[in-house]
Amino acid sequence: MNCVELQQSLAEVEDASGVEQRAHLRACPACSALVKELDMIVAAASDLPGAEEPSPRVWNSIEIALRQEGLIRPQASRLPLPSYAATSFAVRWGAARWLVPVAAMLLLAVGIYVRRGAAPGPLAQHASKAAVVANSADLNDVDLKDEDLMQEVADNAPAMKSQYEENLRQVNESIRDAQGVVDESPNDEDARRSLMDAYQQKSMLFELAMDRSQP
Amino acid sequence: MWSMRAAKLVAIGVIVAGTLVAESRKEFHFAVGPRAGVSVMNPYGSISVKPSLNNTVVVNAILHSDKVEVDNSQTGNRVDIQSHLLAGADADSGRVDYEVLVPADSSVTLHSSTGTLHAEKLHGDVSLEGAGASVDVRDISDAHVHVKTMNGAVNLDNIKNGHVEVDSLSGDVTMRGVNGPLVQVVSTSGRISYMGDFGNSGEYRLTSHSGDIEATIPDWTSADVSARSVRGEVHDDIPLQPKNHTWFPVDKGRAFAGTMGRVAVSSTVVLRTFSGKIHLRKRSEKNNN
Repeated sequence: MNCVELQQSLAEVEDASGVEQRAHLRACPACSALVKELDMIVAAASDLPGAEEPSPRVWNSIEIALRQEGLIRPQASRLPLPSYAATSFAVRWGAARWLVPVAAMLLLAVGIYVRRGAAPGPLAQHASKAAVVANSADLNDVDLKDEDLMQEVADNAPAMKSQYEENLRQVNESIRDAQGVVDESPNDEDARRSLMDAYQQKSMLFELAMDRSQP
Repeated sequence: MWSMRAAKLVAIGVIVAGTLVAESRKEFHFAVGPRAGVSVMNPYGSISVKPSLNNTVVVNAILHSDKVEVDNSQTGNRVDIQSHLLAGADADSGRVDYEVLVPADSSVTLHSSTGTLHAEKLHGDVSLEGAGASVDVRDISDAHVHVKTMNGAVNLDNIKNGHVEVDSLSGDVTMRGVNGPLVQVVSTSGRISYMGDFGNSGEYRLTSHSGDIEATIPDWTSADVSARSVRGEVHDDIPLQPKNHTWFPVDKGRAFAGTMGRVAVSSTVVLRTFSGKIHLRKRSEKNNN
């Protein structure tokens, strides 16, 4: 298990108690520090008042962000996250459920940091390959995720559906183009930045669609 | 003849009366301290923010039907305004147009999906967001200006010493006289236009995927410029001192890099696109924008 795989596995086994996880943590100070920080957040979160329940919008944002990063796969049936996930999280984590958005954002930040690692050492090269695989998987999932987005828009802002469709098409195209350049020239910092910008633009599109449905 | 005219007048009267009944105006006043926070969330309709003459936030709202109401609250130095859509409201009946006066040092957050977002003459942070909203920001100084749109056009005019970040998918972004420590624009297909002098010692990053990028600058500009289009063309009307080292291949017609003006105060300027064109123009005396 490498660093990327460990960070991805934390989405499944949050306390890093798996055999492979523990083996990696023994050998990797960086990931060990990351898990310690997550544990600290869990401990601190227990002091949060239970009344401060995150809104359904928070759960939706997390789900979309995690899907975009390939950390979770879409469910076979489209269960509404607030009722399904929030309940299970609430039971398991109690007041510490605020940990989840914090941890998700931390994981995303670490993931982006690893992807952007420009040092051509073995770890960076390995991470780069993993990122390319992960990105390919992302693109394979694009249709389903995009369907979710378009369903959201169709339900809540049908008049803007065609505009969202066109912008979604353009941003997916930009991701494919940027990914192509990164594949050709993995050490091209400019290309890597373009890829990151393209993903951020897509992320913004999802964000705007979610906000649009807020009334 | 008279009966015909009378019928027309009655019809007009009914229409006007109907409009007056459907449309209503609300006004709210809030006393705030220095550096107040003001947030306006409006699903449908425009929001315009201008400076007030005293420490008061004044909100004028025009509601286009009774299917929307305005919720307002003040918590300490923070004022929150929210258009609250009632059952059956749509883009027309749920529309509210706001005119807001705030102390000039207020931090302002505006959100509308369809209307125009406008802010002017402020020196507090400004954040504007909306999918189809067009954005117009002018005469802002010493503040952060953050804009997010999907396809709305973005116009920034006379932003001094700003920390400016614009994200737009397909809306055109036009900047006139915008400078500061950071000016960053990211667009997928929108056109990016910059007219100004790139200030002093700032970082300017204008990035698009397929949209063209055009920067029009005066002779006295001091800047370290890098421009690159992966699949498109680049044009440079200004003689730059070539750089010895760049982090990307400088293919003729696809990229250029160089410096101009005084190195000590030069800004870093990065123009980057995938398939759009990049054009660095010299500002003509006639077109003194």
